[in-house]
Amino acid sequence: MIGKTRIGLGVTAVGVALALASCGGGGLTSDSQGGAAATTGDILLGMVTPLSGSSAAIGPYMKNGAQLAINELNASGGVLGRQLKLVAEDEGCDPKTAAAAAAKLVTAGISVSVGGYCSSATLPTLSIFGKANIPMIIPAANSTDLIKDKLPNVFLLNGTGAQQAQAAADFMKSAGLKAAALVDDNTSYSKDITTRTAKDLEGQSTKVVNQQSVTAGEQDYSAAVTAILRANPDIVYWTGYYQEGGLIIKQLRAAGYKGKIMVADGSVDKQLVTIAGKDNAQGVLATMTQTPQTIPGGETWIASYKKAFNADPGPYSTQSYDAVRVAAEAIKNAGNTNGKDVIAALEKIDGFKIFSGSLKFTPEHTLTNGGFDILVVKGDDFALNN
Amino acid sequence: MDFEYLLQLILNGLFVGSFYGLVALGYSMVYGIIKLLNFAHGDIYMLGAFSGYTLLTIGAGVIGGQASIAVLVVIMLIAMVLTGTVGLILERVAYRPLRGAPRLSVLITAVGASFALEYGIAVSFGPNPRVYPVRLGNEAFTIFGARLTYAQLAMMLIAVALMIGLDQAVRRTRSGRAMRAISQDPKACLLMGINVDSVITRTFFIGSALAGAAGVMSGAYYGKIDFLMGFIIGLKAFTAAVIGGIGNLRGAVLGAIVLGLLESFGTAWLGSEWRDVFAFGFLILFLTVRPTGLLGERVTERV
Repeated sequence: MIGKTRIGLGVTAVGVALALASCGGGGLTSDSQGGAAATTGDILLGMVTPLSGSSAAIGPYMKNGAQLAINELNASGGVLGRQLKLVAEDEGCDPKTAAAAAAKLVTAGISVSVGGYCSSATLPTLSIFGKANIPMIIPAANSTDLIKDKLPNVFLLNGTGAQQAQAAADFMKSAGLKAAALVDDNTSYSKDITTRTAKDLEGQSTKVVNQQSVTAGEQDYSAAVTAILRANPDIVYWTGYYQEGGLIIKQLRAAGYKGKIMVADGSVDKQLVTIAGKDNAQGVLATMTQTPQTIPGGETWIASYKKAFNADPGPYSTQSYDAVRVAAEAIKNAGNTNGKDVIAALEKIDGFKIFSGSLKFTPEHTLTNGGFDILVVKGDDFALNN
Repeated sequence: MDFEYLLQLILNGLFVGSFYGLVALGYSMVYGIIKLLNFAHGDIYMLGAFSGYTLLTIGAGVIGGQASIAVLVVIMLIAMVLTGTVGLILERVAYRPLRGAPRLSVLITAVGASFALEYGIAVSFGPNPRVYPVRLGNEAFTIFGARLTYAQLAMMLIAVALMIGLDQAVRRTRSGRAMRAISQDPKACLLMGINVDSVITRTFFIGSALAGAAGVMSGAYYGKIDFLMGFIIGLKAFTAAVIGGIGNLRGAVLGAIVLGLLESFGTAWLGSEWRDVFAFGFLILFLTVRPTGLLGERVTERV
């Protein structure tokens, strides 16, 4: 509606203005002003994460994961003798809100950004942080679009869309499936996975019989479901988020679809099961980066998380925890919080232990190994598929 | 394209269209009477879904989580009274004081009312989606090879019953006659001794109650509700009302069915990503040929 568009534009304008203002300041005084290169006081780590909107459930998981790492680091003396502090801003999974949030964090003087969940919302923040020379260690967002421009400050701590697509395609082939339907929600993250999965399946034993994009935020997907059923696939791979995912699973089952359903990591949430209905969701598969529940020896970590926040960890709690630890390690190695030095230190990291294994960034600033698991819905939640 | 597939597409279109239709009626009624585009109407639909959710959550102990269609109809009727009342309050607070104001000002208060309702619910229920405590089953039957669940059939029948009820009320009752009279000439009605304000209030009540009914039905059928769920359907229902000829009630229902079918066939022929391009491209073409819509009357612009 008219009102919404105008307000949206207003927010973007403010965001851009803020970004320009802060960059201008940084450019003139390179390292004497702006928190980025301050040498005393707390080291601020910024996090842009969804605390409202369709993916609001994820924000607290990420925030708490990061906070847990900060608590542990601070308890052991901090970094360079300084304490760490987390500043979180809401992105609402919306590019305009995210741009404004990033500009706010730049103004607050953060040294490293450890946020980023929705890829489409993270995209506009890249250049805002980039111009302010702030390294980004992105724990969750993983569209290949994020590294397309090869920005020096962008590092992905989650497996990329390409790695996830590969995991999905490998599963389909090894399970002996003949026909796959790929459905995305037309956002950067989601479409990236379907496109790459389709490419990975070219000339393979699994054929893509239907590929389409639906509009997020609707209730009725019967038209898409009818088209999928007509193509008669063995597996439907949904790469969007859990709200629409739940509805699509429910409507596929109501329409009499008996084959396999698989979802991508954006849909891995207990809510998917609730929305789809427990009966409908049983046996739904997922491609997912490791979660504390699926990592061997993750129990101790889960216990300390529970003790600190009185809640269970969720998707991206571990990646956010790791993002903070990686940031601290890089700052320590760099010996200061200057963006360029920290970026150089990040590129040099080799063998630092994180949940998904030993960390070494590729020249594209992605993980050397993606570490995607196949999960399956059992009861109310996802579990490892054996 | 085989017959079974064709019939399935038609059924899909009719089902979606019946939701659009219930919401479109409210748009059309309000526009017909006071020439106001009530942008908050989609949010009344959302409010209906949330009223039903609250009632079911409270009543879950009493009915024990069993959702028979009869229970849902009772819940729906209570929710209709609630949303009708909200519509009535909305009219009294946001629209009536601006009755003589420029039309643009009223349009803006409508947008304001829409935001107030959306974020009011976001504050009270939280931004996360809620899931209806009851579920309608997946049991289905086939007619000529096309598949329809009993729940879908029940929803469509309820929608049709509500539409016929409204149509008869507007055509046969005194207050229905008053509504039609006001849509033609409010000033003359006032002179004839019709209580224009009370008829407008009643119109808002009925329109909002229908949207509320659609909200409860959508919550029960799709299962998931959230505070922004009224936005897209509001837009679609408005489109349906325009296709049918805004201000005309039978037109609104017809427009809703046409839009539902366009979306269904658009997806089948061109794929989901082209659905809206197809449906709304058709809308543009159609309106250039017939600007008053399918059953729209000649527009008499009032100065």
